Amino acid sequence: MNLAATGMAAVVAIGLVTALLAAVVPARSAVVGVGTAVTGAAAVVAGAAALAGGSFSVVLPEVLPLSGVALTLDPLGGLFVAVTGGVAVAAGIYAMSYVDSLDLRTRGVQVALPLFVVAMALVPAAANVSTLLVCWELMALASLVLVVAEHRRGPRVASAGRWYAVMTHLGFVSVLIGLMVFVAHAPDDSFAALREAGGRLSPAVAGVVFVATLAGFTSKAGIVPLHAWLPRAHPEAPSHVSALMSAAMVNLGVYGVVRVGVDLLGGGTAWWWLLVLALGAVSAVYGILQAAMSSDLKRLLGQSTTENMGLVLVGIGAAGLFASSGEHTLAALALTAALLHVVGHAAFKTLLFLAAGSVLHATGSRDLDALGGLRPVMPVTTAAFGLGALAASALPPGTAFVSEWLLLQALIHGLPAGGVAAAIAMPVAVAAVALTAGLAVATFVKAFGVGFLAKPRSGAAADAHESPFTMLAGMGVAAVVCVVLALWPAGVLPAVQAAAGGAAVSGDVTLRLSQATGALSPLLLTLGLLAAVVVVAGVVRAAVARRARREARLWDCGGGPMSARMEYTATSFAEPLQRVFDDVVQPELDVDVSHHQESRYLVQAVEYRRKVPDRIERRLYEPVLNAITAWGGAGRRLASGSVHRYLGYGFYVVCGALILLAVTR
Amino acid sequence: MLSLWRKIRRTGRVAEPPPPLPEGERPERAALLGGSVQIRHVDAGSCNGCEIEIGSAFGPVHDGERYGARLVASPRHADALLVTGVVTRNMAEPLRRTFDAVPAPKLVVAVGDCARNCGVFAGAYGVAGAVRDVVPVDVEIHGCPPRPEAIVEGLRKLTGR
Ligand code: SF4
Repeated sequence: MNLAATGMAAVVAIGLVTALLAAVVPARSAVVGVGTAVTGAAAVVAGAAALAGGSFSVVLPEVLPLSGVALTLDPLGGLFVAVTGGVAVAAGIYAMSYVDSLDLRTRGVQVALPLFVVAMALVPAAANVSTLLVCWELMALASLVLVVAEHRRGPRVASAGRWYAVMTHLGFVSVLIGLMVFVAHAPDDSFAALREAGGRLSPAVAGVVFVATLAGFTSKAGIVPLHAWLPRAHPEAPSHVSALMSAAMVNLGVYGVVRVGVDLLGGGTAWWWLLVLALGAVSAVYGILQAAMSSDLKRLLGQSTTENMGLVLVGIGAAGLFASSGEHTLAALALTAALLHVVGHAAFKTLLFLAAGSVLHATGSRDLDALGGLRPVMPVTTAAFGLGALAASALPPGTAFVSEWLLLQALIHGLPAGGVAAAIAMPVAVAAVALTAGLAVATFVKAFGVGFLAKPRSGAAADAHESPFTMLAGMGVAAVVCVVLALWPAGVLPAVQAAAGGAAVSGDVTLRLSQATGALSPLLLTLGLLAAVVVVAGVVRAAVARRARREARLWDCGGGPMSARMEYTATSFAEPLQRVFDDVVQPELDVDVSHHQESRYLVQAVEYRRKVPDRIERRLYEPVLNAITAWGGAGRRLASGSVHRYLGYGFYVVCGALILLAVTR
Repeated sequence: MLSLWRKIRRTGRVAEPPPPLPEGERPERAALLGGSVQIRHVDAGSCNGCEIEIGSAFGPVHDGERYGARLVASPRHADALLVTGVVTRNMAEPLRRTFDAVPAPKLVVAVGDCARNCGVFAGAYGVAGAVRDVVPVDVEIHGCPPRPEAIVEGLRKLTGR
């Protein structure tokens, strides 16, 4: 038994023991927190061992009937196990004191948390279809329990739970159909057999398998148009669960696409990857646009998850496209960029969600328009969110910067590589990535500036207090990983490249392509930036010091003191963007002016309402939901409540069946 | 397009010759501004007659900007205040704060009879006084409302052009 196998065994053992303890021990939250964190640590060890080359595989035929459980850990799976483990460590430490609301302390919720982590760690380690599907379903169920943990808070939680349950199961059905079609063309359902059969599939069958699994996996990753559950479930779930879902679970959708498309089906044809690229680009732009309009802190983070997964899919799509035209170095580069983005996104999204949870814990609100002024009262949380926001903004020295830079390099250098399709797709993808990066900066400036700086906009924000130590420690873990990834990506690059199965980047992020070499040293870049800031600040100070200075009152138009109502709100910050993208987001504006009774010329009140609905949802989901409701209404007419009628139905059906049998015989 | 440029070049600048520089002493501090004066207008309680005349003083006919005076949107950007109307009780403190917000060296121009000596509103219950009673005044412009020519003349005392 090597280190990877020991690690995975530890993950399962510790996770299950923790779940068991959670069911019996009275002081559950501490036990579950520690247990989850240790489970996560074991997963990190197992993943790292697999990335370093220590793969393993076991088959346990007795555990599941018919096909048995088969586990294996190769570098690709190892990367995802390690990422999941890392998120679980931070979320576990955080959960030790976050669960002070009564709803979170209930037994079911506490048992579900470690099970969720175990299931997520097992999904990338599955080596046959049954194991994959069982773990996938376990993951979905455990997360569903966690999403509706705070169901007493209001009907929105229940609604979010329903959306999530329906969509995740539809996704599951889609994956199931795809994999069943695949298995029907292979001797058995182990991945090794599928891999062998994958090359021999006819293009039509392979296409069906790919599209069906793509639909299922992208629905888990929150990719447009199957993203509707994500901005509902993420805000309503407890924050450490949001972090686990947003930073670890959605990654597994990406894992599924890579595993089935690249590994099992062996690459496939160019149109698959153009489809993936298009879905990714649309999700990236649409997700960040919705996030930019959003004024709910956690919803904003959830929508930014759609954006980041979109960027990852852009990388994967480009990689597939390059591979199908024989450009393997470029393909490795694009896949490396995509997987590096998965790692970076996991780090900063964990940090952001945990910080948002800390805000929610302190103020009870996630509405940006009711926050503000948190910097003096919650300095650590503010610093953590600021760091996360910088990391998410794709600006140096941020975590996302390195991977997005690599992604852009791959897309730009891919232009001459892939024929007509690439010649059209690559410039569009570059534009989409660039637009996304720009909007992400605006979004996170808004989230940080409006949410944490200036004056408090509500009493709850004014009375906020810093969170307990373990919550801060959970954020600290994620923050350290963010900083390391931002300053020293070379530390994880070899691992990511092992997972991507090819090396195009070496040393301190140096690109080696056939036509171009380029180097990027985030550490030097950061030092350079710091030096520039110091020099500019010094020069300004020196220039100012020579002039007479006087203290002056803040210019407030000569009127009374500035109040919080004069501040820029999240809504007003997003207003110019909303105007620019008016045709895309189509906001609904309502201005009601009521007049005095005595005179129509005197205005009594003006009411302004603005809503930015999800347009894709409007167009795509509402007709379906309406149709289902209509069918339901029609079906209900059959069930009138009369026993005679129901007996009659039984009688007619039996008669019909008999007639059918008589005729067909 | 090219013919338009040609026409612009051929026509050159068309403007009436400026009237001679106004008489009367020029505040010393105005010389420090070097002929370019940024002005913030403050309505301290005017009937808006003065505002209309200021508007036309900066309109195409009188074109105050060609003498180096320019209206700006904040006292932080300004060298001078252009105060109109009597100073009402509500506006006394904001006027003082606006004056404080202007970086030194600063100047104040009182426009209209109200601003000079309360004009027709003298003795009214809401009046705190003339502009001089609240902030130091450097240049005064007569009239109720003053003619745009008079306003431009007053501003030229500041710009010296
Ligand atoms: S001076 Fe005359 S025009 Fe100007 S504010 Fe006073 S009353 Fe109105």
